[in-house]
Amino acid sequence: MKAFAPPSPEAIARIQAIAERVLSAEEFCAALAVPLGEAEEEETRSLIRWFRRRYPTPADRLAYARRAYRRWTTARP
Amino acid sequence: MQGSEFDEAEFFRAITASGARALLIGRRALVALGIPVLTADYDFWIHIDDIAVFNAAVEPQGLFPTRTPDEARGRGRYVLENDERVDVLVARAVPTVDGLRVAFDDVWLRRRALEVAAGVTIAVPALDDLILTKRFGGRPKDLEDIRLLEALRKEER
Repeated sequence: MKAFAPPSPEAIARIQAIAERVLSAEEFCAALAVPLGEAEEEETRSLIRWFRRRYPTPADRLAYARRAYRRWTTARP
Repeated sequence: MQGSEFDEAEFFRAITASGARALLIGRRALVALGIPVLTADYDFWIHIDDIAVFNAAVEPQGLFPTRTPDEARGRGRYVLENDERVDVLVARAVPTVDGLRVAFDDVWLRRRALEVAAGVTIAVPALDDLILTKRFGGRPKDLEDIRLLEALRKEER
């Protein structure tokens, strides 16, 4: 099995630029008009149910988010 | 500049205690409502007359504004920063990417309170309004957040 190679800082910057670009009103509305597939919606709702069950209060969730962000920045190349 | 020992509960408590009309928006609001997303900063939409009060409330946390209140009013947004970053929107109304005008006063009237620490609440927009705020930016990640918020809305029905 091949070892995981983290993406380069350049690749991360390119992905960030794609995620941060501003869509035109037409692009944005067209994307919103496409409904989520049934499986994708169920997966999303299941994730939300898990998160709310595991972290029942807003305080728990916010604390989780701070821990998760710290982990993510530590692991980032 | 000295690094700050950031206490999130105290940060929220100070904002609420200040009386500033401040709505937590952005991904931190999604997290508080129950959507697991990653975020680095805090986003608030505050009343245009409450900039100085808001700034004074968070100053003990070592957060300092990048603009004067007058400059912020002119630009419609500013940032408070140190070890943490707080993006602040101060417009009376903001258009969505598809041209709908969303007024702070209307969103404020429909706000909901979330208990974010023992005895500490913070105001967040109603779910439908939070979705509208995600239509201000028009970025792919805003689209993704709208999908998540719509899923949450179905869970809450």
